[in-house]
Amino acid sequence: MRLSRWAAAGAVAALAAGVAACGSSGSSGTSAASGSASGGTLVVETSFVLKTLDPGRMFETTGLMIDRVLYDTLLTYKGSNVSKPVPDLATSFTASADAKTFTFTLRKGVKFANGDPVTASDVVFSLMRTKNIDGNPSFLMAGITATAPNSGTVVLTSATPNTAIPAIVTNPALGIVDAKAVTADGGTDSAKAASADKAEAKLNAVSEGSGPYTLTSFSTTSQVVLTANPDYWGGKPKYSEIVIRNVEPSVQKLDVLRGESQIAVDLSPTQAAGMSGVQIVNGASPNLFFVLSNDSKKVSTVTSNPDFQTAVRDGINYPSLVQLAGTGSVQAAGIIPTMFLGSLSAGQGASYNPAKAKAALAASGLGHPTVTMSYPSDLAVNGISFGDLAARVQQELAQVGITVKLQGQSVEVALAGYRAGTEEMGLWYWGPDYPDPSDYLNFMPGELVGLRAGWVKGSDPTLEALAAKAAVTTQDAARKALYQQIQESMNTSGPFVPLIQPAQLLVGASSVKNLQSNALWLVNLGELG
Amino acid sequence: MTSASPAAAGAPRSRTRSGGGRHDLRRFLLRRLGTGVVLLIGITLVAFVVTHLVPGDPVAANLGQSAIGDPAAVAAFRHQYGLDQPVPVQYLRYLWDVLQGNLGISEQSHRPVLADLEEYVPATVELALFAIVTSLVIGVGLGIVAAAFRDRWPDQVIRVVSLGGVSMPVFYLALLAFYLLFFRLGWLPGGGRLDPTQVAPTHLTGLYTVDALVHGQWELLWSAIRHLVLPGLVLAVYTIGMLTRFTRASMLEIMGNDYVRAARLKGLPEHVVILRHVLRPALISVITVAGLAFANLLSGTVLVENIFAWPGVGQYAYHSAVNLDLPAIMGVSLFIALVYIVLNLVVDLLYGVIDPRIRLS
Repeated sequence: MRLSRWAAAGAVAALAAGVAACGSSGSSGTSAASGSASGGTLVVETSFVLKTLDPGRMFETTGLMIDRVLYDTLLTYKGSNVSKPVPDLATSFTASADAKTFTFTLRKGVKFANGDPVTASDVVFSLMRTKNIDGNPSFLMAGITATAPNSGTVVLTSATPNTAIPAIVTNPALGIVDAKAVTADGGTDSAKAASADKAEAKLNAVSEGSGPYTLTSFSTTSQVVLTANPDYWGGKPKYSEIVIRNVEPSVQKLDVLRGESQIAVDLSPTQAAGMSGVQIVNGASPNLFFVLSNDSKKVSTVTSNPDFQTAVRDGINYPSLVQLAGTGSVQAAGIIPTMFLGSLSAGQGASYNPAKAKAALAASGLGHPTVTMSYPSDLAVNGISFGDLAARVQQELAQVGITVKLQGQSVEVALAGYRAGTEEMGLWYWGPDYPDPSDYLNFMPGELVGLRAGWVKGSDPTLEALAAKAAVTTQDAARKALYQQIQESMNTSGPFVPLIQPAQLLVGASSVKNLQSNALWLVNLGELG
Repeated sequence: MTSASPAAAGAPRSRTRSGGGRHDLRRFLLRRLGTGVVLLIGITLVAFVVTHLVPGDPVAANLGQSAIGDPAAVAAFRHQYGLDQPVPVQYLRYLWDVLQGNLGISEQSHRPVLADLEEYVPATVELALFAIVTSLVIGVGLGIVAAAFRDRWPDQVIRVVSLGGVSMPVFYLALLAFYLLFFRLGWLPGGGRLDPTQVAPTHLTGLYTVDALVHGQWELLWSAIRHLVLPGLVLAVYTIGMLTRFTRASMLEIMGNDYVRAARLKGLPEHVVILRHVLRPALISVITVAGLAFANLLSGTVLVENIFAWPGVGQYAYHSAVNLDLPAIMGVSLFIALVYIVLNLVVDLLYGVIDPRIRLS
């Protein structure tokens, strides 16, 4: 075929179209970084776990971060310290000796962003609405009733002793909404709120809170935009606008390096390694990975053997797991994460002792057993893949004579077996519902997670007695001692082996001040300076 | 389904041009409409059965670790989404609601699925349109050149490039393009449809370029175009490669026909032979491929949307699947089915436009 002029022109046109598509934009240069220089707009990037911003229904990671700055709570935490609640809307509180009644005194003169005053009846409405909606966060208010003896006081009464109430009320799901406005939007705190409350759509368009920011736009898949509340009682927020964008972690890294965003929330230690020109806030996550060896003989005669459980505990090379998880991660010394009251110090955790593990296995009379360990193969927490962690555990236990068959399943399938308590061995994690050690009583025999490991009530009477005492003790020093005792006991016997707390990193532009990692809401955007 | 052959596609040939032509068209459209409705119902049934066969519980997927232990929360969730009804009742109720334009409430966004689709579909349509137009211009152009220079160096170069286009994994290409064109060179913006500080243009179609153009919001128009280029080109690369190879093959097949030789022997200029006597018939099969490619682009943008933070139906579908969000999964399935049905119909109708010998029967 001869080259004709027409064909040449066609080739040029086709290629030119492609080049033009690139070049037309290429000449324009990069878009301006979103106000990082001016301090006007802050761009935060995270991989969204977000369904709603209605406090009564919200209990997802991204929602917690956003609702924290849309709504005030009775108490809160400052910076990264989640060991002790500090005042927010309540200036102070008192607890009864039986840990059943908590009385909060409200801050005076606080107004919602729409100008309405914040009163005790708003607090009662908000808390009872969250309770009665029967949504994801309703369990926070289980057994608790809120009342308002006067416009400046709120009383929370628990049917059973509940020492966690000060920690519970810090949760943004218990953020205080404007009762009048939410009621006008179809909201209700009545006992029938599960079906009668219709305010969610409106609360996903307009925030009815008193926090440092108000909601400007909301999407569960692209971005959420917040605007500063100029009348915020705590002082004018630093940024006039905050854009929170849904971006994959690998892209978050490039964006923050290039100045397209100012904070990247989800980078793993590996991704953050070697980054320069940015600040890296390095902390351990409150998420805690653990292995369970089912204590039920019906499920497994192997894993329910106490000597086998000891062999697992001693046969895991914890420093190796920490190395796998990367800089910032730590060994979980006990079942309570390092940042909470009652946690054990670094040296108090289980230690790797293969000789002791082999001896325990020999004492078990099981020979060289083979067990199946289930885990969610499609799940990663703080950048740590369950598959990687499971493979490392398998490798280490093989060295002490335990053959672990890995059973990776989709999280939904794996969860079914885990929740039913039918897994022989399992590799899971626990994220705190609220930053209080009492949340970890779920691991006790006969309790939620305990039952998932076949650890029924009566399995360890001494431990259960300690747990019962801890549940009603209100003094911090006494609580700390009790929870530490509980964990020391769990580190010598029982089906649970705490492994690691992965790193929780925040990477920020150097222009962002007071960037602190928080175990509950990742970062308090209202505290940035 | 559409096939490469017009005959197989059920789109040939009525007896005469006049007379029954209009009635033929009407009958054809009615028949296709009827088939489409049956297909849609079938797809809802298949999607419904498959999503219920998947091991896993939507309650477990949507309620937190503590809420799952609260019988009241579980009951409220099941009641809200109709999961407390027997499965056949759930399906019939779903069909009844669909007939009334109600696709249900998404378990992840807590909004009507229709509202979600109205928000996310335009973003994907805009991206897919950019990709298909780019693909057609570049792919067909390169295919023509390759055919015209058969077995010579331009053909060989284009064949290698197009093979690369169809072989390159899209996620790898996306990351590579993002790294080079955004991070390293800064020629193009990163993710999203607009810069973070920009507010979307006044809503008309949901296609930001169109809406900004109509309302004269030039800065937004420029921003929307620039944000389209990177994900659009990445998405287009596979289709460009495919259309190039397909155009080349179709043209080479037609070039061997006697009537093409006769045209050359008559002394017609080469560009007239290529354009009028080769390209036009070759376009029939190219259009079939392009139609399917467009449908693929509309339904297969998950990876590109994720990497470029593009808030389209691909991301919505992905999140729906991992959260076992049944109403959303059904809604997305219906949307994709509708896309294929409509595009196949359009392709069939286009046969008659391209080749007057082909008429509807």
